[in-house]
Order: sequence, then structure tokens, then C-alpha cells
Amino acid sequence: MNDLRLYVKYLRLHFLAGLQYKGWPLMMLQVLIVVISEPIGVILLISRFGRVGDWSSERILLIYALAVTGFGMAETFCRGFDYFPWRMIRSGDFDRLLLRPRSLFVQVAGSFFHIHRISRVAGGAAITLWCLHRLGVQPTALNVLVLVLALAGGCLVYSGVFVLTSGLAFFTIQGLEWIYILTNASYQVTRCPIDYMPWLLRRFFTFVLPILVISYLPAAAVCGWGRPYWQGLLALPAGLLFLAFSRIVWRIGVRHYQSTGS
Amino acid sequence: MRSYASSALSTARACFSLFRIKTAEGFQYRLAWISGATVGIFWALIEITVLAVFYNYAENKEAGMMAGLTLKQVVTYVWVAQAVWTMQPMSIDSDILGKINSGDVGIELCRPIDLYFHWFARIAAGRLAPLFWRGSLTLLCGMLMPPAYRLSWPASLPSLLWTVVSLVCAFLLCTALGAFVTTVRLNIAWGDGPVYMFMFIGSILSGATLPLQLWPESWQRFLLWQPFAGHMDIPIRLYIGSMQPGEAHGGVLLQVAWILFFVVAGKLLMARRLRTIVVQGG
Repeated sequence: MNDLRLYVKYLRLHFLAGLQYKGWPLMMLQVLIVVISEPIGVILLISRFGRVGDWSSERILLIYALAVTGFGMAETFCRGFDYFPWRMIRSGDFDRLLLRPRSLFVQVAGSFFHIHRISRVAGGAAITLWCLHRLGVQPTALNVLVLVLALAGGCLVYSGVFVLTSGLAFFTIQGLEWIYILTNASYQVTRCPIDYMPWLLRRFFTFVLPILVISYLPAAAVCGWGRPYWQGLLALPAGLLFLAFSRIVWRIGVRHYQSTGS
Repeated sequence: MRSYASSALSTARACFSLFRIKTAEGFQYRLAWISGATVGIFWALIEITVLAVFYNYAENKEAGMMAGLTLKQVVTYVWVAQAVWTMQPMSIDSDILGKINSGDVGIELCRPIDLYFHWFARIAAGRLAPLFWRGSLTLLCGMLMPPAYRLSWPASLPSLLWTVVSLVCAFLLCTALGAFVTTVRLNIAWGDGPVYMFMFIGSILSGATLPLQLWPESWQRFLLWQPFAGHMDIPIRLYIGSMQPGEAHGGVLLQVAWILFFVVAGKLLMARRLRTIVVQGG
């Protein structure tokens, strides 16, 4: 409980500090443009080629938007881990956190917060709602629950990715760029109609990094694409599982930590 | 007149050695660029998968052929695009940005060389090493893929030669654009927002998200004439042969025109900005 209070306090602090920079509305607009224009390739493709089987642009966008919103939430609330390898380890600032008698996890998670990251969440949520509306999904209690759990699961999975990156950063700080495959590049797979996705990609993004579990399965459950409904509820457990795994890597990393910097 | 010529010469010489030093420095970060290449390769594979699905299963499969691109050409397009993608300025050179933010621009102004070309050389050098490492690895990987995903050879020998010429122009164009954006950023109060938006829209219009020929028919004329087509689309069109060597001089001329435009615009803007610049800090 104490940790949660500390975390909220951290976020509040960063939020107020961020407001001091008058450029933040422009930054929000910038991220919003990125979110909206990233799927433009698929939309243009569909406008030229027509739909693929049952896959209309709304279907593809819905899956994409669910993944992006989850990613945006993780980026908003777990930004500290996202920045950790570059801003904390390299500079040696991590030593100071180790001295404080509070949870390391909370301190790192709350160490950065950027207001404009919220616009990825807002943009993603707006696309999600628009697609749900176009696909005629009924807002029953169960459907709402599935979608909320999907977003929570997405947030956990991507937070897990950030924690994993930070854990790995204890061993090597160089050449960590490949990790973008698990972050910004990972939700690009949702642009591909799932039925036509190569077997290997599909397995990887279901069982290793559960992106499809937090986007495709809930969408399929809510819209009735002929998959068992209960699979839509797997998002939260999948997220928890992935985060738990990442925390193990993080723990091992912390134990290995030898200070850098001065 | 003579002193002007000699100062231009010394600027050129200084800029060239700066370029050499910076390039050598960039090559030190090998591991980072190689690691970055894996992301490019992954991205290319996904892009190809999506495009192949549309070419094979869409309602209107012939649409791609009608736009003048076969699947084989599109696959090659994606590989080359990923290979040269780092050429585009997606952020402001971190050294220069640091100087602008900390007020060290004042020190830069004391140097007896032209600031614009000084930065031009720096920006060019900053992107050469990533282009080399990431580009060559991506191309190599593209060649080793199974046939459906493989990078094809250039359409013909003249095509290849024109591609190289066009790529050099593209590199200069990207640098000129980067320098232009940096001069815009000299005004600190604006922050990074507008600059990033400009660069982001540029990257979309360069064909990085989707080959420009697959965009709607009615936009084609505009898409070819806008400056960002010169970043990637024109050289790649030459490579895959959707722009014949006979038409190549038009494309390259267009690139050169845009280079001149951005260099002149950047220099003028910088001259104006420097007249009213406020140096922060002490």
C-alpha cells in the first residue's frame, strides 16, 4: 500500500513538472499523428486491393488498436523501465535508488513519466471504439469486461517487455536495439490478417510474446469470429505470466549489478 | 573576391575533415547498428508478409499488377527500403541538439567556418555509419531469404548505375532536409514537436510505409513531385525497374532541384535566425 502511494506521488510529481514545458500539447499532437497514421499502409492497401476474405479494414484496425492501446498504457505507467538502460544504468543513477529503503520496482517505474504518451492511449482507444461501433458490437457487461481485461493484459505484457529490457541491460548495455522487435515493431504484426499469418509468427506472438492473446483473441470473442468465447479472457493471465517471467530476469539482473559511472 | 574564394575553400576543407572524423567515430558503434539491423529485417519480413497476403488472397488481386508492381518487385522494394531507411533524418543530430539546448551555439558561432555547412557535414557523417552497417546487413539477409521473400537483382545494369547516382542524391537530399529542420529547431521555444511531425510525415511520404505506386491513383502525380519521393522511392523505382533508365534523368533532376531548394531555404533561414538568436546559459 505504501509503495502504491509512493508510485502515485512520483507520477503526480512528473505530471506537474511536465506541465511546466509549454510545448506539451504539440508533443501530444505529434504522438497522436503517429498513432493514426501508422496503419495508413493497411488502409491504403485495402482501398486498392479490397478486403482479404472476411478481413475488412475495421477488423484489422480493431486488433491493431487494442495492441497499441495496451502498449501506450505501458509506456505511460512504466516509462521508467523503458528508459532504464539508457538513463539509469549508463549514468550510474541506479546506485542512488539502491540506497533508498523502498521498493526498487516502484522507484524505477516511477522515475520517468511523459504526459504526451497518454495520447497514444487516447488515439488507440478512439480507434478501438470506432471499430467496435462499425462492427456492431453490443456493449454488454461481458463484452466490456473482456475489452477492459484485454487492455489491462496489454499493459502488463508491454510493461513486462520494458522490465525485461531493463533486466538484460544489467548484462549488456551495448546493442540492445534489437529489443525494439518486442516493442514498437511487435504490434506491427497485427496489421496482417491473422488467418493468413505464417505459422511461426503466429505461434511466436501467441506463446512467447502474447501480443495476439491480448488483441486478437479478445476481439474475436467480442465480435464473434467463431472462436471459443473464454479465450478472450486469457489476456490478463497471459499478461501476468509474462510480467512474472520478466521480473525474474530483472531480479537476476539486479543481483548481478556492478556500478557503472562515477 | 579572392578572400571570399579562399574562405570558401577553407570552409570546404574544414567541413570535409569534420565529416571524416565524425564518420570514423560513427563506425565505432558497430554493435549498435548491427543490433538495429535485426529490427529492420524483422520489419521487412512483416511488411512482405502483409503485402504478399494482399497480392495472393485479396478480392482484387490484380490491383497491384495494374499499378505496375509485381509481387517480386514489391518484395525487393521492401528490402531496399529497409536497407536505406536510416538515411532519413528521423531525429535531430544529438550533438547539435545538445549544443542548441545548452547554449553552446555561441561557441559554434565563433568558429571561422560557415555554420550551415559545418552542420551539414556533421549531419551527413552521423548517418553514414548506420547506413553502411545496417544497410549492408539488411541487403545480405534479403539475398539469403527463401525465394518468396528474396531480394532480386536490379532490373538491368543501367538501372543499377542510375540507382547508385540517385542514391547519392537521396543521401544529399536527406542531409539537406536534416540541416533545414535543424535550423528550424534553432528556435528553442518551438520545442521538438513541429520538427518531429515534419520528419514523420516525410517518412510516410517517402514510401517507407507503402510503396508510393500502391497509393491511390489520383495522388500519383503529387506523390512523385513532392520532395520526400527523392528520399527512397525514386532510387528504388530505378532499382526494381518500374522507372526505366530512359526516364531516370527526370527523377534525378527532380532530386537535385529539391536539394538546391532545401539548401537555399536552410541557409536563408539560418541567416535570419542567427540575427535574432538568443543564446541560453552562460
